[in-house]
Amino acid sequence: MLSFICLAALAKADGTNQISQSAGDLENFTLEQLVNVQVTSVSKKETGLFTAPAAIYVITQEDIRRSGLTSIPELLRMVPGLDVARIDANHWAISARGFNNQYADKLLVLIDGRSVYTPVSAGVDWNVQDTPLEDIDRIEVIRGPGATLWGANAVNGVINIITKSAKDTQGGLVTVTYGTEDRPGTTVRYGGQLATNLFYRVYVKYFNREHFADAAGQAGADDWNAARGGFRLDWEPAAENNFTLQGDYYHSDAGETIDATSLTPPFVNRVNVVDHNQGGNVLGRWTHNFSDTSQLSLQAYYDHTEEGDAPSVIKDDTYDIDLQHRFALGTRQDIVWGAGYRYLMTAASPSFFVTLAPGSEDEQLFSTFVQDDITAVENRLHVIIGTKLEHNTDTGFEVEPSGRLAWTPTEKQTVWAAVSRAVRTPSDLEMDIRENRSAFQPASGPPVLASVFGNPDLQSEEVTAYELGYRIKPVERLSFDVTAFYNTYDRLITAVQGAPFFEAAPAPPHIVVPLTFQNSSSAATYGTEILGEWRVTDIWKLVASYALLQTRLNPEPVNNNDPQNQFQIHSYVNLPQHVELDAAVYYVDAINAQFGDGTLAIPAYVRVDLGVTWRPTRWLEIGVYGQNLTDDSHPEMTGVKTTAVTEVPRSVMGRVTWRF
Amino acid sequence: MHKPDSKALKRRTGKLSRLAMACLGFMVSLLGPASGFGGEPPLTQYQVEAVFLFNFAKYVDWPPAAFTNATAPITIGVLGTDPFGDSLQHVAEGKTINGRPVTIRHLVSDSELGGCQILYISSSENFRVGQILGKAGALPILTVGESELFVANGGIINFVLKGGKVRLEINLAPAKKNGLDISSHLLAVADVVRGKSD
Repeated sequence: MLSFICLAALAKADGTNQISQSAGDLENFTLEQLVNVQVTSVSKKETGLFTAPAAIYVITQEDIRRSGLTSIPELLRMVPGLDVARIDANHWAISARGFNNQYADKLLVLIDGRSVYTPVSAGVDWNVQDTPLEDIDRIEVIRGPGATLWGANAVNGVINIITKSAKDTQGGLVTVTYGTEDRPGTTVRYGGQLATNLFYRVYVKYFNREHFADAAGQAGADDWNAARGGFRLDWEPAAENNFTLQGDYYHSDAGETIDATSLTPPFVNRVNVVDHNQGGNVLGRWTHNFSDTSQLSLQAYYDHTEEGDAPSVIKDDTYDIDLQHRFALGTRQDIVWGAGYRYLMTAASPSFFVTLAPGSEDEQLFSTFVQDDITAVENRLHVIIGTKLEHNTDTGFEVEPSGRLAWTPTEKQTVWAAVSRAVRTPSDLEMDIRENRSAFQPASGPPVLASVFGNPDLQSEEVTAYELGYRIKPVERLSFDVTAFYNTYDRLITAVQGAPFFEAAPAPPHIVVPLTFQNSSSAATYGTEILGEWRVTDIWKLVASYALLQTRLNPEPVNNNDPQNQFQIHSYVNLPQHVELDAAVYYVDAINAQFGDGTLAIPAYVRVDLGVTWRPTRWLEIGVYGQNLTDDSHPEMTGVKTTAVTEVPRSVMGRVTWRF
Repeated sequence: MHKPDSKALKRRTGKLSRLAMACLGFMVSLLGPASGFGGEPPLTQYQVEAVFLFNFAKYVDWPPAAFTNATAPITIGVLGTDPFGDSLQHVAEGKTINGRPVTIRHLVSDSELGGCQILYISSSENFRVGQILGKAGALPILTVGESELFVANGGIINFVLKGGKVRLEINLAPAKKNGLDISSHLLAVADVVRGKSD
């Protein structure tokens, strides 16, 4: 089944119709012939991944279950080349291939085909992206531009979080986690069958997470609790039709420390606030298979988010409809095309700190794309070309083409190359904000207020990315995946200081030093990501990865938020009596992170995770997991809005999962 | 392998001379299967194993007690993660063997083994294969798997991938114990047959 604009669109490498033809002949083979048929040991999905002309990594349900990690952002740590940096207990900065910060704006994230990238601030609010982790089928991560298929803001990567069909989550599940952070976390899910071929599941999830502490050991204000519930219905009335209807609702109270600016002494008030975030969504999808080589998907969703991001409240309502059709044209071409429409309404409540002018606005996005996968030489050479064409209210038309080449000289090797263009559209804040960032009293004269101003004339940031990849399986138990990239960025949006001016209101009268967003910066980045997987024995697997990133910005900023070197190794051991013993070691280079108007040096760190999972019966699973075990605590990243940096502590957690 | 569409070829080459067309024809034939550039798309291990599973139903005789009646189906159970995609369905669906229809059942637990004549234990279950075989070994079920420990744990037929071919390892003792009679044709193609001398 085609999951909506999923990996399959990139990973398509072998024609389904051809496989079944050959398989048809097999049935008439004699036993002697059967034992002599030359086969490949990889499944079709693996073949697709192995030959895909993009830097793809997939987190499986098995990886999720064994990791003992309890949130989507933490799970992403295991992806080679992603930079997952925690700001405090409930804020993360996550990016691929550079430009990381609290509002990292070049990574597009979708959950079951629904975009969770917020166009208001440009970025992903990781602390409201959640679902029962047991119901996730897989998380597909593509590093590098994915704009041809997914559109604007898929500049440095795309993350697709795909949950299981309700058909595959039948029965009950209760998970309870308790430890130094989770106090407690719990998920209850039940799946059943309503009629022939009509399956459902419902869930509720709640957690209460402990705050972190800062470098001095002072407790942070970053306590966090969240509750959510949801459902999914899957109906397969006939082999050629699939219907999905799903929805979620959540409420999250996430504490943080921010600097509140005032025009009177003490000018900067460090205050603890609680952000009351809530939201919900409902999504419907119809997939129709005309034939083995022609599939149509129609998807529509409504999404509501309320970022009670104290002191402002921003409400978003998104209506989105997308059509996607995939078909074979002749025997050598596989075409995917689609069209979409999105209507977005944003409303923001003003405060002294942040005002969005106008206070509410509506935006529209029209998009269409086509991609052709051409088999130049069967099973050996694929050429994939395509482009997205979009029109949005803010910047007008955007074109995002890409060309990819996959050469499979043998079954055990793939060489791929890609050139693509992608854009990042300016956020509502960058166009319309006034943020009173900081104030001080000079020796003489009125107080000075530094304010950031939006710029309605901003254009999109753009990237041209050149990528090269190589995958090889030198022997059956060993595989390597190497990618290299060179990206050039233009029209990057940065805040540029302008001429000070006098402002009488609000009182007292003051001097404003304006910082205005401009398309004034450019950059070049290059790097490599290397992944090796070694199945040492039937019961022991090692996975190691290394990522190198070099960033050159013009003009050069004082900060560098991106680690130059990252290394990680994971060991998975299956012991008798259904015991799984897993370990992971991470190394992340030092950074000099942006912090207020200056920077904060964050040293390199090593993190060691260990976990034991025991499944005494099919129905019961018990696990104990320790994270960051060799270190009392370490900082990972500064925030943009979140001003207190709290440190990731050593943590231990126990989990009991009961299925019935 | 797809033959070049001669109509399309003519359209494209309509304006070329005969000689050029002949050359082109020659080049296209070079790219064809004979040259080894393209060739058949590789079959997966599991497509071949699916055909084997169906063949096992033909080459194994079960004791009458294994079925509820004379026309009861031969049921192939797949326990754990199904690696076959639709290929097993494709091979076995709607077929009959000795008047018995062949059905496929997906199992999630080893408490549902009853009623299966063939049990394929997916590699996802490799770490409790001993426990599953312990239960299945008490029933007239042809157990099929793929793990180094399968036969040692009392499994009957183990798939072994050798030199890119699916080869068979057969363990006669547990088959005989439960009254399963494996045809000599099947034994003849197996790489290893254990417990033969009994």
